[in-house]
Amino acid sequence: MSGTTMRWKAIAWKTGAVARITMRQQFAYKTDFVLRSTFLLLILFVFAQLWSAAYEGDPARVISGFTMKQIVWYLVFTEALTMAGPPLCAKIEDEVKNGDIAVRLTRPFSYLGYHYASYLSEALFRFVVHLAVGSVIAWPFVGAPSFGAGWLGLLSLSVGALTLDFLLKAIVALCAFWVEEVRGMEFVLQKLQFTVGGMLLPIDLMPEWLQRVCAWLPFQAVLYFPARTAVHYDGAKLVIQLGIQTGWIALLGLLVAVLYRRGVKKLHVNGG
Amino acid sequence: MKALETRALSKTFRVKRKQAGLAGSFRALLKPDWEEKEAVRGIDLDVEAGETVAFLGPNGAGKSTTIKMLTGIMHPTSGKATVLGFVPWKERNSLAYRIGAVFGQKSQLWYHLPPIDSFDLISRIYELNRGDYLARRKDLVDRFELGPYLNTPVRKLSLGERMRCEVAACMLHRPQLLFFDEPTIGLDAVVKQRIRELIRDRNKTEGTTVFLTSHDAGDVEQLCTRAVVIHHGGILLDEPVEKLKREVLSRKTVWLTLPEGSENLDLGELDGAVVAEREGRRYRIAVDLKRTGIEQVLSLLIGRIRIDDVSVEDPPLEEIIQHLYGMRSKGEEVSL
Repeated sequence: MSGTTMRWKAIAWKTGAVARITMRQQFAYKTDFVLRSTFLLLILFVFAQLWSAAYEGDPARVISGFTMKQIVWYLVFTEALTMAGPPLCAKIEDEVKNGDIAVRLTRPFSYLGYHYASYLSEALFRFVVHLAVGSVIAWPFVGAPSFGAGWLGLLSLSVGALTLDFLLKAIVALCAFWVEEVRGMEFVLQKLQFTVGGMLLPIDLMPEWLQRVCAWLPFQAVLYFPARTAVHYDGAKLVIQLGIQTGWIALLGLLVAVLYRRGVKKLHVNGG
Repeated sequence: MKALETRALSKTFRVKRKQAGLAGSFRALLKPDWEEKEAVRGIDLDVEAGETVAFLGPNGAGKSTTIKMLTGIMHPTSGKATVLGFVPWKERNSLAYRIGAVFGQKSQLWYHLPPIDSFDLISRIYELNRGDYLARRKDLVDRFELGPYLNTPVRKLSLGERMRCEVAACMLHRPQLLFFDEPTIGLDAVVKQRIRELIRDRNKTEGTTVFLTSHDAGDVEQLCTRAVVIHHGGILLDEPVEKLKREVLSRKTVWLTLPEGSENLDLGELDGAVVAEREGRRYRIAVDLKRTGIEQVLSLLIGRIRIDDVSVEDPPLEEIIQHLYGMRSKGEEVSL
């Protein structure tokens, strides 16, 4: 086996090990899961009622290309993805503040690789749980999610969506290497995802000028692409969306790598 | 072979200075006032493989900053260092396979999971062969007597049990050099002793180099052969611990509690022992071991007065360092 192959194999083993232990740790947070799930049920119930009023209870009515069933399931998918992402900014900020970052940095494994493996493992687990919880509201309210190939679109775009979500959060989180306090920036990022990311409302329903702005931002590739493709499958669009997602991942991945390289040199590891 | 070498290693931080009060906060916002703080000032240090070195100094002396630079997690402002032949901050990943570190109260164990899960993760991160790892784990579990806790969630372990697991965890990959930043902080005397024995054992059987910081004179006396004292970021003293013990660690503290209604304690003619402090019925007696022995002091006290309670302690390390620093300030000979 060549040196490069062995190196990648070792990285895969390490990533898998971090993902597994993160998953195991999840089982310790049962109360957190129950609370989140209850909150998700409440949010979806309220939105289902609101959309029902907007559609005047007519399941056949179409608004900007969406039926009521599609819009409610769209919300289930965006909420499941939003709530899946672990609080990376808070984690890294805490590590920098209390000096725990020292333990991570003395390991022969990339700091960002460690957080990515942990993030993806936790996010995928939560995503599946939240999808199941969301179904409890959406299924009886608007019917089964019979989206056929839409499911394939959702799944193929979700890993990239969560990766992009990780990178966006990592950009904010790594600012903690300079300023220590990043919660304000995290708040802004979250609200951008809620609005121009298409979490609350599909981008198709927004004014045309705003749609044009959103098309140039990375946020649409996190929530809008997977949820839109799930309820409105279009093979050609899926390929384009996968391409856009990959482009943003490459660009933001590079930015995260540069930020990390610069930040780690400036880092002041607190505590004795 | 050298385990580590530093030349003029320095680290300066920029610290924001704020005046008190709300007005001070506004002023700092508009016109921040920065102050340069020299945490480590030109340290030259050589440690041979297999040595056990205590790196001592009062709080803020620059001990932890030096360890962080030597483990590669902080970049120095100037100077050079090599650890096991690697420049730590440039080759941190390669170095990480060869060193182990325990940072005082920072845990490397997953809080909600049993230590065995963290051990398994570490074995993957350090790319240990499965068979070797299992044999090594068994050896460490036996030596550290971790069997009963191996499957208990870390959050349910006592501090002493957890620290034993932490120390075992940092030895799983057979590091050539171990960094300990306050390994016995907060532990009771029995657990401290156990941890020291375990570290000493690894040094004797595997030739592991040990570099530790501590505020506990016991750690230095029982674990290390050499002591390096730093103060205000620079090296104040670098001597064998034996010499330090003979010349500076030659004092003990006897705490004495007398029964209710006892007369004032008078040590009288006892040379080398003085009452240093008194709080009600409790006395602190400073004993100079160069002039008298603990045995003589205790036998004189027991023969002369009634005692409720007695304990013998090493003087705090800070006191010893301050003493050394005082000697240097006065221009006395500190080199022992």
